[in-house]
Amino acid sequence: MNTERPSNLIKHPGQTSIPSLENISNFSLNITDCTQVVVPEEVFFTVAAAGILENLLILIAVVRNKNLHLPMYFFICSLAISDMLGSLYKTLENIFIILCKMGYLTRHGDFEKKLDDAMDSMFILSLLGSIFSLLAIAADRYITIFYALRYHNIMTLRRALVILAIIWAFCAGSSIAIALFSYEAATVIPFTILFPLMMFFILCLYIHMFLLARSHAKKIASLPSSTVHHRTNMKGAITLTIFLGVFLCCWAPFVLHILLARFCPHNPYCACYMSIFHVNGTLIMCNAIINPMIFAFRSPELRSTFKKMFYCPRSKLKIPTITPKVMLCL
Amino acid sequence: MRKSKTPKAVLGVSPLTHFISTGLYLLRCRMSALRLISNRTSQQALSNSDYTWDYEYYEYGPVSFEGLKAHKYSIVIGFWVGLAVFVIFMFFVLTLLTKTGAPHQDNAELSEKRFHMKSFVAEFGRPLESDRVFSHQMAEESQSLFHFCINEVDHMNKEKESQKGPSLESNTHFQEVPKSSAMFEEDLHCLTKFNIPNFVNTEQNSSLGEDDLLISEPPIIL
Repeated sequence: MNTERPSNLIKHPGQTSIPSLENISNFSLNITDCTQVVVPEEVFFTVAAAGILENLLILIAVVRNKNLHLPMYFFICSLAISDMLGSLYKTLENIFIILCKMGYLTRHGDFEKKLDDAMDSMFILSLLGSIFSLLAIAADRYITIFYALRYHNIMTLRRALVILAIIWAFCAGSSIAIALFSYEAATVIPFTILFPLMMFFILCLYIHMFLLARSHAKKIASLPSSTVHHRTNMKGAITLTIFLGVFLCCWAPFVLHILLARFCPHNPYCACYMSIFHVNGTLIMCNAIINPMIFAFRSPELRSTFKKMFYCPRSKLKIPTITPKVMLCL
Repeated sequence: MRKSKTPKAVLGVSPLTHFISTGLYLLRCRMSALRLISNRTSQQALSNSDYTWDYEYYEYGPVSFEGLKAHKYSIVIGFWVGLAVFVIFMFFVLTLLTKTGAPHQDNAELSEKRFHMKSFVAEFGRPLESDRVFSHQMAEESQSLFHFCINEVDHMNKEKESQKGPSLESNTHFQEVPKSSAMFEEDLHCLTKFNIPNFVNTEQNSSLGEDDLLISEPPIIL
């Protein structure tokens, strides 16, 4: 990323090497007011590893069970992949920090630069992939509900794969572009606008679905044989709130960080907010852990696949709908 | 290891990637960078890695914390309080949506619907209940789907007043009565389990057919 103007780096050696020491001392004085909140490495690694493992499990389960080869589960897989990329990024970053502390990674500038760029692209790819996967899941559920009888024609497997390919190609291209041109406001602003826009759109989709579900729950409640309580409607509100609340709480701090970093890096208030950057990073990794619980583990079929994977590692996983006498671990 | 992007440092603007990782490297690698700088005396010292550390320090340059009117973490506190308030507000809005119901329909319509629904449920409910092959959730889903079909047919017959058969492929009918056409027994909480494609694809899933010789009855085809 800084290959375009390497000459500037070397142009003024005198200016950089001598004041650097003074600036370091000044810097240390100024930064003590709002010190970086450091998350212990153990916590980082634990959270990242948990996120990676969980999402990997989901991928394995969907790949192994042929009954899960459906558009809905493919979108959940896409979300799992983007969460995994985010956690992987954080893990690699921490490993590099440790290597840097030990002094191993100081010499080879080109290699580190390229690695640096690749990792930044990976993180942005993970962020964009997450957002678009959530959007795809919401759209899939929307089509399931409002076009239920034509769902199978609208959302074929092939179309789902094409949609995923387009989403990931777009995310990959955007991530590389953003990583290359990240210093311009033109990339930061659309990036930060995309986040609330997507969230608002997803919220609208879910509210529409929610209204429909509520009105029909009311209709069913009017039936003599129905046993639906108001409690179930409350559960729907809670579910929706949890889903959107988690999404907001995990991603919004980081997006705000980017905004503040772009527009007021020298403001003391902004600097204090930016000092909790690692907490924001940990929140993003927590999102990678919570997302599977909200989306993937709600599916009974996926849960039964997991049970089979853990209790009967050698059995075939293609047959969830069989009579009880066949559900043996052969 | 983060290399700062020089143009940004000169302009006082930091890149996204820089801020992704700068803080951590800044502190933790500062000592190693200092060692590197102090040990170098020649042009060799002016490699890219040294410059990046310096430029990073420039970027986070003098931030004076004097004369702050509000608490220094005011943005942090304000942001999280705002976020919490927003989430709670959203929850209350959704709860209110559950309490304020749709306008009540006429009794005649209701009773007619009940009749239609009962008849359809009786018709389609039997194979499901007697069929122990299907797992419980698939039975639920299929029932929900059938209720959906039932209501679609019901509404179309009622509102169109024509003897159009259950042309369930016509999507425009669905759009006319979006709020009252489909029917679900679960609420949104169960929508994640609402596995229509799973059910719809049942008969086309070859894995069920070839390996499983124990499904005694063929799956119900829509």
